[in-house]
Amino acid sequence: MSVVDGEWAAIFIVLVVGFLPNEMWRVLGVLLGRGMDENGALMRWVRAVATALLAAVVARLVLVPSGDLAKLPLALRLGSLALAVAAFLLVRRSVLAGVLAAQALLIGGAWWLGL
Amino acid sequence: MRWFFAGTRGATAVPGLVLIASYAGFGGLAHGVGLPAIATVLSTIFIWALPAQVILVGGIGAGASLPALALAVCLSGVRLLPMVVSLLPLMRGRRPNLMRELICAHFVAVTMWAEAMRQLPGVAPEGRTAYAMGLGCGLVSLSVGGTLFGYFLMGALPPPLAVALLMLTPLSFTILLVRNAQLPMDWLAIAFGAVLAPFVANAPGGLDLFWSGVGGGTLAFLAAEMIRRMKGAQA
Repeated sequence: MSVVDGEWAAIFIVLVVGFLPNEMWRVLGVLLGRGMDENGALMRWVRAVATALLAAVVARLVLVPSGDLAKLPLALRLGSLALAVAAFLLVRRSVLAGVLAAQALLIGGAWWLGL
Repeated sequence: MRWFFAGTRGATAVPGLVLIASYAGFGGLAHGVGLPAIATVLSTIFIWALPAQVILVGGIGAGASLPALALAVCLSGVRLLPMVVSLLPLMRGRRPNLMRELICAHFVAVTMWAEAMRQLPGVAPEGRTAYAMGLGCGLVSLSVGGTLFGYFLMGALPPPLAVALLMLTPLSFTILLVRNAQLPMDWLAIAFGAVLAPFVANAPGGLDLFWSGVGGGTLAFLAAEMIRRMKGAQA
């Protein structure tokens, strides 16, 4: 690992690169929250950017994987996502059902492929 | 205190359990990248937002520059602002207290937001601040447990199980996206963000999440505004 040398450097990075830029929005929410229109144009744009970013995080993890995740074939990765959404929608919008169905497919698939 | 412990019990509902598993996946990811255990646990307690943590740890693993990582983390955190704004009226006690509000706001993340929105209306108004803090502390504690479990035990699991756990983060994020999508704009944002991601994967400076997030989100926002206008013109 190139960026993190030693425990203190890693803690420093977690706090400065992770905690501060993230926490700032919670503090702003408290400070600005009282007079803000939750459904105004600015909030709608914020919501769109946050949603697109989360979708991009998923797409990057699944389409351009790193580490052990890359050992799973693309079809299995995409298939598990599709199954998760299908099980979630079919079983009373249950998050657990979606996660468990996809995990079963992944474990079975990885075992069958001999990983 | 009674309300606080009622809140911690509220943390053990199903979404809290999914959170443990997702954080186990994150712990495994952090271990794979070589992040020290203390820093990994501190990231769960202090950042307390799985997308930001995955961006940070994934970026460290990919050797992204720290300013670009801070920018991507910052962008991913924007979604916390409307969550805090909408949840705070429920968590705030009768007497406004800035410090207490900041502590309550720190616990706000995707799962906490959804669970607090669901559970808090059923709690007596005088107990809501304590209940929210109990719920938040409970969820963070469970997640720290999950993080440690994944960090130290991922290597000992049979390989098919370990690799399946790594998919937990994208799986639970995908379900959350589908669950929270209500407006056409939400679906457009999901589509634009996901489609742009592979094309900008090698963007210079590690700014790929910036381009897919801000670019995809802005496109979705503009398209949704146009649909609104067209519907308005027809009516």
